[in-house]
Amino acid sequence: MGPVELLHMSVFSQSFSPCGRFLAAGNNYGEIAIFSLSAALSPDATDLSQKPILTFTAHEGPVFTLLSTDTHLLSAGNGEISAWSWVELTKRSTKAVWTRRPNYKSSLEIPEINAMIINPKDNSLIVGGGDNNIHIMDMETGTFKSVLQGHTDYIHCLALKEREGEILSGGEDGAVRIWDSRTRQAVHCIEVFKYEECARPQFGKWISCLATDSDWMLCGGGPSLSLWHLRSMSPTSVFPLAGCQREAVFHQDVIFAVGEGPHVSHCLLGGSVKAQIPCTSPSLNTLALNLSSTEHRVMTAAGSSDKIDVFTNFSYRAFSLSF
Amino acid sequence: MSSDTLKKRKAKVIRSDGGTPETKRGRGEGDQEVRVYNEEVELEGRDPEQDYVLYKSTCDSLAKLMAEIQELKANGAKEGSEEVEEKLRQGCVHFITLKKLNRLAHMRLKKGRDQTHEAKQKVDVLHLQLQNLLYEVMHLQKEIGKCLEFKSQHEEIELVSVDDFLRDAPAEISRPHLTKDDPHQLTLARLDWELEQRKRLAEQYKSSLCSKEKILKGIELKKEYLGSLQPGLHAIMQASLPVQEYLSMPFERVQKQAEVARHLPPPLYVLFVQANAYGQACDKNLSVSISGDVDEAKALSRPPEDSQDDESDSDAEEEQQNTKRRRATVGVQLDDKRKEMLKRHPLSLCIDLKCKDGSVLHLFFYYLMNLNILTVKTKVSASADLSGAVSAGELLNSESLLNCLYASDHGQETPNPANRYQFDKVGIITFADYVSQLGHPYNWVQCLGGLQFSSDRPQAEGACSSLSASHMEATMKLLRGRLQSRLALHKQFGSLEHSIVPVSSECQHLFPAKVVSRLARWTMMSHQDFLELHFVQHVAKAGLVKETDLFFMAIVERGTARLQAAVVLNPRYPEITPLFSLSLLWKGERSGRSDDNLRAMESEVNVFRSELQGPRPGLQLLTNQIQRLCVCLDVYLETESQVCDGSEGPREFPREKMCLRTARYKFVYDYIVKKIYI
Repeated sequence: MGPVELLHMSVFSQSFSPCGRFLAAGNNYGEIAIFSLSAALSPDATDLSQKPILTFTAHEGPVFTLLSTDTHLLSAGNGEISAWSWVELTKRSTKAVWTRRPNYKSSLEIPEINAMIINPKDNSLIVGGGDNNIHIMDMETGTFKSVLQGHTDYIHCLALKEREGEILSGGEDGAVRIWDSRTRQAVHCIEVFKYEECARPQFGKWISCLATDSDWMLCGGGPSLSLWHLRSMSPTSVFPLAGCQREAVFHQDVIFAVGEGPHVSHCLLGGSVKAQIPCTSPSLNTLALNLSSTEHRVMTAAGSSDKIDVFTNFSYRAFSLSF
Repeated sequence: MSSDTLKKRKAKVIRSDGGTPETKRGRGEGDQEVRVYNEEVELEGRDPEQDYVLYKSTCDSLAKLMAEIQELKANGAKEGSEEVEEKLRQGCVHFITLKKLNRLAHMRLKKGRDQTHEAKQKVDVLHLQLQNLLYEVMHLQKEIGKCLEFKSQHEEIELVSVDDFLRDAPAEISRPHLTKDDPHQLTLARLDWELEQRKRLAEQYKSSLCSKEKILKGIELKKEYLGSLQPGLHAIMQASLPVQEYLSMPFERVQKQAEVARHLPPPLYVLFVQANAYGQACDKNLSVSISGDVDEAKALSRPPEDSQDDESDSDAEEEQQNTKRRRATVGVQLDDKRKEMLKRHPLSLCIDLKCKDGSVLHLFFYYLMNLNILTVKTKVSASADLSGAVSAGELLNSESLLNCLYASDHGQETPNPANRYQFDKVGIITFADYVSQLGHPYNWVQCLGGLQFSSDRPQAEGACSSLSASHMEATMKLLRGRLQSRLALHKQFGSLEHSIVPVSSECQHLFPAKVVSRLARWTMMSHQDFLELHFVQHVAKAGLVKETDLFFMAIVERGTARLQAAVVLNPRYPEITPLFSLSLLWKGERSGRSDDNLRAMESEVNVFRSELQGPRPGLQLLTNQIQRLCVCLDVYLETESQVCDGSEGPREFPREKMCLRTARYKFVYDYIVKKIYI
């Protein structure tokens, strides 16, 4: 990686290891870097501990999404999904355990995969990609069980309501569809851009971030980031954030959102923006919270640069890891 | 009364004074046996003590008499009475006794004096004798001393040692029976022997002189003969020149070059040999020639005594001249010292690299004698006319043409660390001041000449010519590549300034058929101007901008949109990709920092070198990058303006291309561009 490549690097995805001590990040060159959080957070950390312990090329295209199961790291790039063993990765071995590809209809081009989530109830992997469909793969057998069709443009993000077993998907067509995982049918379809409070026509209608917390749903993108009550299917609060948000998460009583603009926005459920914490990248693509580990409880954010900001206290940036 | 009496006495007494008894007396009548009264004889018989006692008693009796007379006269005696007269007569006798005693005393005194005088005389005589003798002794001693110190000339003659002499000399000279005992004879014999030997050697010397004369004459004759041969050989060589050219074996030229090359300083010689070897073996388009003053070079290598004589003469002349001029000031002296230190060797090497299209890169190599470094100056003679492009002014500038041939080899400072101390002595602060005059001391030039200086980074030591050989091929390739890339750029700039992006037929497949955005302007910028642009700060911070780079500004326009691209061109283009930084003026200003789309466009142009460089050696990289920039701008404007349709009037940029997909979120532009012309 020469200095020019580093200058033009963007980080698209992050995932913490199941033990919580490692962070995997994927960039636009198809590389995945594994960082040791325990080394970077230890009191005698040096500059070297902020560099990855392992960097390898995982895919031909950019790595848009990363997901961690109990034992494996799943990465998806140019239309294919690869799995890597966390144990092997920490031992610096870069052999993929398996690589699979959903059945795409058109053979002209390979659509990229933008989002993946795991449904723990039936141990299936739900993949949303550039062919406008959601593919569901059984983790044990590795076969693609079903395809959820309905979107008219490619899918940006996925979310899962665990209790009800419902899958939410948001796409370029501006619609948020709610699917029932057992019946494989679309239950609801919300066209966010049609609601005047949220719509921002100057940006477009696409939905790029989705998050759910039991009855509540966050969605944003072209339209403003808004909090929806799913029972009533109506927006309760609209957050006055400039720029399009690309990822948002619920955390206790606060909502963290990142997108265009060099900051992480802390928003309250009522619709007000509590704080905007500055970051190093001019715009951020991904936000992750390491909740599985108590001693390495950090938030990391990364975007249009080679740096991943680490927040030990969510109110300010502690340091940055770099590729 | 007493005087009367004395006179009477005198007449009566015959006395003899002095020492000599007088034999002749007036009173005695011819009587042979004159009774001479010798008072001296009497004197010797008398005792001075007695005389003294007598004197005393006489004085007493006289005093007594006087007293009696006195008494008598006082008692009324008459004048002339008998008693008084008696007393007077006694008194007179006493007076006479006193006189005699006085006389005797005088005579004793005189005698004593005479005796003393005599003794003194004797002593004086003896003393005188003593002095004479002493003087004589001293004189003799001096003479002896002189005799002893006398160095005879014969001692200066170095004589053979005694043993050798006794051994070598014939018997009649050495005369051992005589000389054994007598050192004087021995020395004489030795001198004789010496004389004889010298005579003999003088004879020998004369005879060898004669023979030497004869031999010299013989040599002269032979030299004349050889001299007469030379023109004949030369004529033959001249005649053979056409034959050589016909057979393409330029022996004579090579020989002449080798002849001159003998006077080259060692680094230039190494360079000459290696370059020749490389040219013969690998590269027919490389030619080496030596230029400069051979006589001066010969003068430099001449032994110093000759030149010292010359100098002393010239110094004498100069002094005579200098008395009329002022003394040189300290500044002028320092200047002279500097010039002396920076002096170049009179011979220089010229290497010509010819390229396929006919342009030639001339490299002139100089050797700085006191600093022990090589420098190079360049000249380009291009086959095509180069006057077209304004922005290309810097490209073939001989000062910067060879900058950074190898990374970070700026050629501004001398690579020899010892020069630092030399510079301090004459007050040169940095070599960069003299670079334009003396040439650039690049590191690769030193390597080609086999000069290696210890640097901060430890490097493996290598022998002289192996160092040169190992670098030769790589450097020649780099030099050729540099020239070609610069010439290509020159041509490309000419066309860019006319707003045409020259895309060759091999690279046409990289771009769609119709590109609407056009290059409006292409200008050159200075380093300062570049750093003042606000949208290039990230590049400067990443350390990718150096003073040796060239900076350009390209303006791409379509409709109301105006894209500014600041380009950093590293001197090692096309090895190093030019870096573009973008700023778009369209409904507000965006730059690569604020807008991810523009950032994607920057990566599109900067990172995908392998696609964009075209056929080897990749000289079309820059023009392809500019063309891709235009294509990206097209796509961006068309897709952005799509967003606004519905709410605003007709789209400013109708979609000209068939884009299967537009990916605004993930900004996958290369994905788009690849799909555009399906």
